[in-house]
Amino acid sequence: MKNRFKIWQFLLLIWIITLLIRFELLINTYDLIFSWLILLISDLDTALSQISFDLLDSMIAGILFIVIPLLSIIYRKKLGFLYGKVFPAAIFLILLITCFLFAPLISNKNPDFYKNIGITKLLPPLSSVQVLHFKNDQNFQPSESFEKFLFLKDKVVKKSFDESIQYLDSISTGGKIIYYQNGIGKEANRESLLLRVKDPFITKQMFILGSDQFGRDVLTRLIYGARISLMVGFGSVIISLIIGLTFGFLAGYGGGLPDAVFSRFTDMLLSFPIIFLVVLILALFGNSLLSVIVVLGFSSWMSLFKVVKTEVLSIKEKNYFVSSKLLGLSKKQLLFNEVLPVIIVPIIVNVIFQFGNVIIAESALSYLGLGLGNNYPSWGSMIQSGQEYLSLAWWMIFSPGITLIFTLLSANSFGISLSRKLNPRLQND
Amino acid sequence: MRSTIARLLIKRIFSSLIILFLIITFLFFLVRISPGDPVQKFVNPTLSPKLAEQVRESLNLDKPIHMQYIGFLTSAISGDLGVSYNFRRDVSSVILEYLPFTLLFTSVSFIFQMIVSFWLSIKSVKKINGLFDRALSNITLLIYATPVFVTGVFLVFIFSELLNIFPSSGLSSYDSADFSFWARLTDYIYHLILPIITLSLIEIAIFYKYLRDNLEDVYNKLFVLNLRASGVSEKDILLKHVIPNAINPLITIAGIELGIMLGGTLIVEVVFGLPGMGRLIIEAIFTRDYPLVIGCSLVVSFLIIFSNFLADIIKAFLDKRLLTGSLN
Repeated sequence: MKNRFKIWQFLLLIWIITLLIRFELLINTYDLIFSWLILLISDLDTALSQISFDLLDSMIAGILFIVIPLLSIIYRKKLGFLYGKVFPAAIFLILLITCFLFAPLISNKNPDFYKNIGITKLLPPLSSVQVLHFKNDQNFQPSESFEKFLFLKDKVVKKSFDESIQYLDSISTGGKIIYYQNGIGKEANRESLLLRVKDPFITKQMFILGSDQFGRDVLTRLIYGARISLMVGFGSVIISLIIGLTFGFLAGYGGGLPDAVFSRFTDMLLSFPIIFLVVLILALFGNSLLSVIVVLGFSSWMSLFKVVKTEVLSIKEKNYFVSSKLLGLSKKQLLFNEVLPVIIVPIIVNVIFQFGNVIIAESALSYLGLGLGNNYPSWGSMIQSGQEYLSLAWWMIFSPGITLIFTLLSANSFGISLSRKLNPRLQND
Repeated sequence: MRSTIARLLIKRIFSSLIILFLIITFLFFLVRISPGDPVQKFVNPTLSPKLAEQVRESLNLDKPIHMQYIGFLTSAISGDLGVSYNFRRDVSSVILEYLPFTLLFTSVSFIFQMIVSFWLSIKSVKKINGLFDRALSNITLLIYATPVFVTGVFLVFIFSELLNIFPSSGLSSYDSADFSFWARLTDYIYHLILPIITLSLIEIAIFYKYLRDNLEDVYNKLFVLNLRASGVSEKDILLKHVIPNAINPLITIAGIELGIMLGGTLIVEVVFGLPGMGRLIIEAIFTRDYPLVIGCSLVVSFLIIFSNFLADIIKAFLDKRLLTGSLN
């Protein structure tokens, strides 16, 4: 039973579950995209001025939610891995990538959402809090297209505040409605509340992985933190791939002076603890998402350089390479047509391990307070703030810590299994 | 023979010096071109600009950058690394205050790592693919994937919060000044157990993996079979024939890892609040203490290069064939 479970079935399962849970949100998102497109045609300036990161994020997630399944159905013949068997590392990586792409769809809160800190702070996992809902203009019927767009945007894009709810400890609904927060009773006007028949409308909200010191949901922050880790991972790996490949090819192919220069430079970087260099650059030149990616990319190409250089040195002597060089191929053609196909396996394996290293480095930087600041949740900074509340809230370190370990474990085991699969010599053993 | 060794040694030392020179040059200019002004920390904007100029002059920041560089190099050659802006003391004296802790901490954990990984790998190679072996290989994979600070925080939670056995941070108890010598020593050891375990776990995983694979390789060689057939005891085979043959690649790895550790105690020092080089550098970087940043980097790079060099020399003396190869 377990062995027959294929990757495409798992993906379909995630898709259906998301569809069922977030059906209303998805419909609103598509409505939003549609009304934005109408606005774009009728009033270009207003449409462009409304664009923000969160809006684009929600709209892109909504589009990808339809486009990716369609594309993978169309190109299913080419995507061989979809028919592979499911294994734990793949499950975890797929979940991470889903979080990366569809974070606004999966989570139902803004990662920075907080309200009534006194009640919601440092809640243990699986605890739930009562929520009292106030009336807002939910029943407002927009007439103009712009009003409709704003109305939908309000619904789809999650904000870090919400005036229409109150978290509460207990409530008494006799003649007057009085809700208690931290022992202080407040009277609520019956007209201002959402009512279910006669009683006030009270729901329960569960904090599945608990909440942090500001009453923010840990699970939501974990989901959004996956984005930072993966983004930094992909970005820096691409940069280090480009640098390592170019330098390695130039040093191996050129020999002599270029080899000496590049090798000395690599030795210099290797004989200095890279983390200090990264900290130095980030502390002196400021830290943002882009600078973290660039600095980590520039400081992790050395092992790739060594791999490429040694491989190129051995390829250089081969007959096919010499003959294609004599045919007059340019350096670029030599690299992409003659060298890359041969060394692609060690490069891919190296890149996957590099990916894990970069994620470790990013989380360590966030832990030291040099990540992306407090603008965006990241696993490392979550652990850092959790360390202060160690005696009160173990979940604040364990949920991001275990997620981090699982991510790195699955990246490692994915790399190992890939290198076994791609390496013909190991396959025969 | 002796003259070739001397020549190779000199060549190696010379290239190490070039690397050190490149590092400090690189760092010098990197630090100087970065935005931000260290003078502002000492001078209030309400004070006169003349005072700011005086401070700038006292910090040697008033000259053009190439003059600063030449001045720095000439004094660095004579062993003077400048005056730290924060400590208001010689950089070398500040470093000498923090370096012994890092050296001690690293070497103790290095010895601990070596002993544990040796013991584990010999035990697991006794029965290859046995229960112990397989369990350990999975555990090392797990440890290898765990970032150091996560290990540290988890250990603090388990041993300090839940079990309340070890202290969670610092190097000594707040009242340790009143203790006798031995009580103070045990207090230090008590405080250092968790940091040493944190620093060592990942290195143990690395050493274990290398050593175990090497031992297995050597055990599968024909000469071991021959020795067994001749009736040599298993203990003698292990101690006299297998370990000497398996240890060589480990020394290279150990040299590299020792170097990484000397610089890489940073995270452990931050997690446990220990006074070492790592935290000194971080502090210097954050407060833009230029001379201290460069001085610390120089010392750390020197330690890394030196440990690699030491590993190569030990390896060469164990295996004379490598002498010309590894020193080159």
